[in-house]
Amino acid sequence: MDWERDYIGAATKASSAAPPPCTAASSSSDDNDDAAAKRGKKRGSYNCGHCGLPKKGHSCHVGSSHSPAPDSSSAAATSSTLPVSAAAASSALAASASTVTVMPSALSSAARPPQSPPPLLPHHPISHLRCALSFDDLDVRADEEEEDIDEVEPDLDERDRDFVDGDADAGGLPARCLWEVLRRLPPAELLAVARVYKGWRETSRRVWWAAEDLKLRVPSRAQLYFVGSVLNKCPELVRLSLWMESDVDATMLACIAFSCPNLESVEISTSSNAVNRITGDELGRFVADKRCLTCLKMEGCSNLGGLVLSSSSLSTLWLSDLNSLSKMVFNCPNLREISLEFSRNGNDCTDLIATVDGLGRSCPILQNIHIASVRLSHAVVLALTASNLRGLRMLSLVLGSEITDASVAAIASSFSDLELLDLSGSSISDSGIGMICNVFPETLLRLLLALCPNISSSGIQFAIAQLPLLELVECGMTVCDSNDESLISDEAINHGMEKRPNSNLHLIHQKLIIKHSKLKKLSLWGCSGLDALYLNCPELNDLNLNAYKNLLTDRLLIQCPSLENVYASGCQELLIEVIQNQVNNNSFPMENHLPFKRLADGSKRVRVPHFLCQQQFDVYKKQRRRPPCNVLAE
Amino acid sequence: MSSSSSSSSSPPCPKKMITLKSSDGETFEIEEIAALQSKTLENMIDENCASTPIPLPNVKGKILAKVVEFCTKHAEAGADAETLRAWDAEFVGVEHAIVFDYILAANFLEIPTLLDLACESVAEMIKGKTPDEIRKFFNINNAFSPEEEEDVRRQNQWAFE
Repeated sequence: MDWERDYIGAATKASSAAPPPCTAASSSSDDNDDAAAKRGKKRGSYNCGHCGLPKKGHSCHVGSSHSPAPDSSSAAATSSTLPVSAAAASSALAASASTVTVMPSALSSAARPPQSPPPLLPHHPISHLRCALSFDDLDVRADEEEEDIDEVEPDLDERDRDFVDGDADAGGLPARCLWEVLRRLPPAELLAVARVYKGWRETSRRVWWAAEDLKLRVPSRAQLYFVGSVLNKCPELVRLSLWMESDVDATMLACIAFSCPNLESVEISTSSNAVNRITGDELGRFVADKRCLTCLKMEGCSNLGGLVLSSSSLSTLWLSDLNSLSKMVFNCPNLREISLEFSRNGNDCTDLIATVDGLGRSCPILQNIHIASVRLSHAVVLALTASNLRGLRMLSLVLGSEITDASVAAIASSFSDLELLDLSGSSISDSGIGMICNVFPETLLRLLLALCPNISSSGIQFAIAQLPLLELVECGMTVCDSNDESLISDEAINHGMEKRPNSNLHLIHQKLIIKHSKLKKLSLWGCSGLDALYLNCPELNDLNLNAYKNLLTDRLLIQCPSLENVYASGCQELLIEVIQNQVNNNSFPMENHLPFKRLADGSKRVRVPHFLCQQQFDVYKKQRRRPPCNVLAE
Repeated sequence: MSSSSSSSSSPPCPKKMITLKSSDGETFEIEEIAALQSKTLENMIDENCASTPIPLPNVKGKILAKVVEFCTKHAEAGADAETLRAWDAEFVGVEHAIVFDYILAANFLEIPTLLDLACESVAEMIKGKTPDEIRKFFNINNAFSPEEEEDVRRQNQWAFE
């Protein structure tokens, strides 16, 4: 492992201020020395390998507290294997996900799933403000990832054939079957089994070689050496996702760039106590050097400073926690999806107008734009609409209280094919909604207008009635009496959403009548100005009524037979009961698909069509059984 | 459904059965629909080789019986996902040697659902065990020399933190 020694040597020289990387908590000091030597520290190891303090006169407690328990987390990864299909939800990453998805690398590229067209932005920016409405199942990408990990039989070439037919002694499993077993292990276990038996080591090595998808949690003590070792095992890696609990800087990027030449997708998420020190220059260099990088997602980008990204391959870019960038230039002609979330503590001074202007110029095929910043204003919208982004399908400009109806007019006149429009946190009013309904009835699928204080229930009603293709409507905390302290969620306050004065007294005691044939998700959380709600939506799956305080129990009617989840936390007990009664009585009988004839004695006989066998008839029975609706109230 | 007094207007679907012969000479009958879960058998059925008993020299009678049970259960249309999962869990809740046999049979007969189930359960058995425990559990002789073992252990040291 010569390269490692040199490389790690360079790293430790560079970050001389940082404590030396810690190795495994093996108790014998001999191992520490060996490991330290291996790490390329030229001097003797004067520092304890566990905690970095000088060894002399030091007794280390770190090792003992982290002694490996069989089912507790190891440094490499937690031992729970999350089904990799839960990849999309960022919460899945947080919940201890470290998995290795193995796709046999021997497959030709034709067998690889085609580049997916950029779907919806999976997690919405103010998802903390929107309590329970989750868009995860609307995320096409999640589904496609599920297909990615469909197991495909590997094509074994000549040398592999020897491997397969070889010795089947170990545990009685031929290598091919062992491969199937080992590929289902999480990374930590995969490394552990390498020690069991030679054949297992060989097989586990092959599993690593074939890995294309890797999700890794990097704990706070493990450093570059750790990530480097893992990445070194999977040279074919295509998608890498790191959940950093330790600080991350450019040496991590260099490590990634070095180890994984074929990398197409990089995602770096940071926990709350990890600091992302990557600067704009370093990121720019990384992106420019990686010729096949198509997707880059990074959190905690508060140290970027200034950013110039040039890449002809990049098509998806998500950056969050941005703060005061001196400039942001994206020379990415293939960029399809961009998401920029700026920090919300009010001291961000990025010039959004210049940024958006540049976006319009250099990324002509943008389809999805998402910008979250309190400094969004009408001028920014004008800069956006002045550009020639004819392909725009999803536009999300949130938290901009200076976005007005005039902005909506500009959007409506420039982009005629929007499928998603999100202006949450803006100052648009019912006339803005009117403009939206004039222009987008044939294309708009998702409308999000949470925290817009100038919208009334009649505006919402109008929108839903006029937009026949709508599948998702989010109107959290729009129709509410903003003088009611208890309504403003803590998160809203934390994120700098000040209580905006609501001058419209008529926004209380409102009612909402919604009848829509396609609506699937409706969110009305915190709408305390509503006291009557009538819903008749045959396709509605999700209904969010969190913090729905003032709803009178006798003015609630829900006629939605497909309802699967109702979120009602923060509602009064009585209301929850009423909701439960209503949704559980909604089991309308399914139409009888089978023809029947009336006999002479007046009885009805159902006739089973003769082409149906027993099994197909059972399918009808399955359809009739719908799962009961969950009413979730914490 | 038609009442009992009147004759049903549809003749019951004839259940086509296929005969399988295990390595120790036992024969088993399986519905064609259930057999279609095995790609190997599906190919044979397609090529019309399925009229005589199909010899399966790699699968013992004891295991073949269970495999037939598995395929039949999974071919049933009425089962809902949860009961099936529970049934599956019970199916693989046996000695690991038998689960290995399931893997081998599923590999040979190309039954993806059974292969998945059995491999997952072996993976679960492996998780959380130290290499020594794994060796003991699976009755494997340690074929590493002490130097080799030390080398592997050092390489993966960080994994055992």
